[in-house]
Amino acid sequence: MTTHFISAEVDLHDTAEELHSAIEIELQKHGEPLRWAVTDVDVDRQKAVVEGYVLVEASPAIA
Amino acid sequence: MNRRPLTVVLIVPTGVGASIGGFAGDALPVARAIAQISDTLITHPNVLNGAQLYWPIPNALYVEGYALDKFAAGCWGLQPVHQNRIGLILDAGIEPDLQLRHLQAVDAARATLGLNITDWVLTDRPLQVELRISQSGASWGTIGNPDSLLRAAQKLIELARVEAIAVVARFPDDEGSLALENYRRGKGVDPLAGAEAVISHLVVRTFKIPCAHAPALSALPLDPHLSPRSAAEEIGYTFLPCVLAGLGKAPQFVTPTVGQPPCLSQLVTPIVGQASCLSQVLGGQDAHPTREKFYANRRDFESQDLWADRVDAVVIPATACGGSAILSLSGRSSVQIIAVGDNKTQMQATPEKLGIKALQVNSYLEAIGVLVALRAGISPASLGADISSLRCLSD
Repeated sequence: MTTHFISAEVDLHDTAEELHSAIEIELQKHGEPLRWAVTDVDVDRQKAVVEGYVLVEASPAIA
Repeated sequence: MNRRPLTVVLIVPTGVGASIGGFAGDALPVARAIAQISDTLITHPNVLNGAQLYWPIPNALYVEGYALDKFAAGCWGLQPVHQNRIGLILDAGIEPDLQLRHLQAVDAARATLGLNITDWVLTDRPLQVELRISQSGASWGTIGNPDSLLRAAQKLIELARVEAIAVVARFPDDEGSLALENYRRGKGVDPLAGAEAVISHLVVRTFKIPCAHAPALSALPLDPHLSPRSAAEEIGYTFLPCVLAGLGKAPQFVTPTVGQPPCLSQLVTPIVGQASCLSQVLGGQDAHPTREKFYANRRDFESQDLWADRVDAVVIPATACGGSAILSLSGRSSVQIIAVGDNKTQMQATPEKLGIKALQVNSYLEAIGVLVALRAGISPASLGADISSLRCLSD
């Protein structure tokens, strides 16, 4: 198991709940989200800047 | 008098350089004040921990950040307790003398506070914590051997039946660094805080029991210019007493069992094609259950358990509204978000940028005034000099 720091940009959504879901889906591409936050918003590009950690389980050993 | 209890969540995110609460327990006065006008205050270790110093607040719930996010999302409930049986994990990377200092701190907490701390475990490998600062300016870090941490926690839970876990990891001594210099002056970002959050989040996420962390560090040389905000960490050999005191009465977590819906709905229309927080983990369950369906099989509905639908207000630094808990709670129309302007952070995630409806105030004193008004059933707007005209809704 390893922890990884992830930085990503996510499209802003109409509601904060939709944004929450979109961030979790984006981070799940890299592992299981452990902690994250929107650190800034690029209002012109309508993007949320997200930083977070994900957890990645070790791959099973190949026999 | 029958009235709804006032439940307030106070969040000061850790490791983001909060000017109030970004140092050594320096948001504790805010928590004490808010607790006075709340029936229940829900807050987290970064707010309540002051190394050797802490303050028992009878109506405050000490909830680790990962669990707080799950609570806010409606996935976990909080179950108050009289006392937890606590176990201690010491990092094998801690020098023997420093290990002994921590074991003596535990003994002191048992003898003077009456805490039920029964067993300790040394990790089977050094945890190897490394510290980093992100592009935004927040602190974070990595653990070289997270599996060793989890093995130690599992041992305490299975063999000693502990109900809460205190972790002490050896953190790098950063003496002479600019980050530490600034921190001791009451400026900048706590360089340790982000990595501490990773440690406690890992344990809470895996075992679903309360956990908090204290770093093990060598004592620093005396600094005559030490900031009062950082001073709590320089009056003893360990930062452990506050963690033990907090865990002693930390609420247990009520989590979904197999076959139960994963999260309490916010009673909004589901977003087609998007998953709720735990639906992928539990698979095939109703991602947006109604309140009735959620509670259908829960005996604990009638008990003292607290769920997100009991929250009335959340108090947060105005630039740090981008965390999971705030985004979740902002979806509940009954929750008043109070954004405090003069608690500056390194973050730039304001309610306006995120489209979150919040009441912006300048200070915690003003936030407390808003809470008093809410409790009394008074619109905060009617306490100002200017009251806007009634809006006329037209088709």
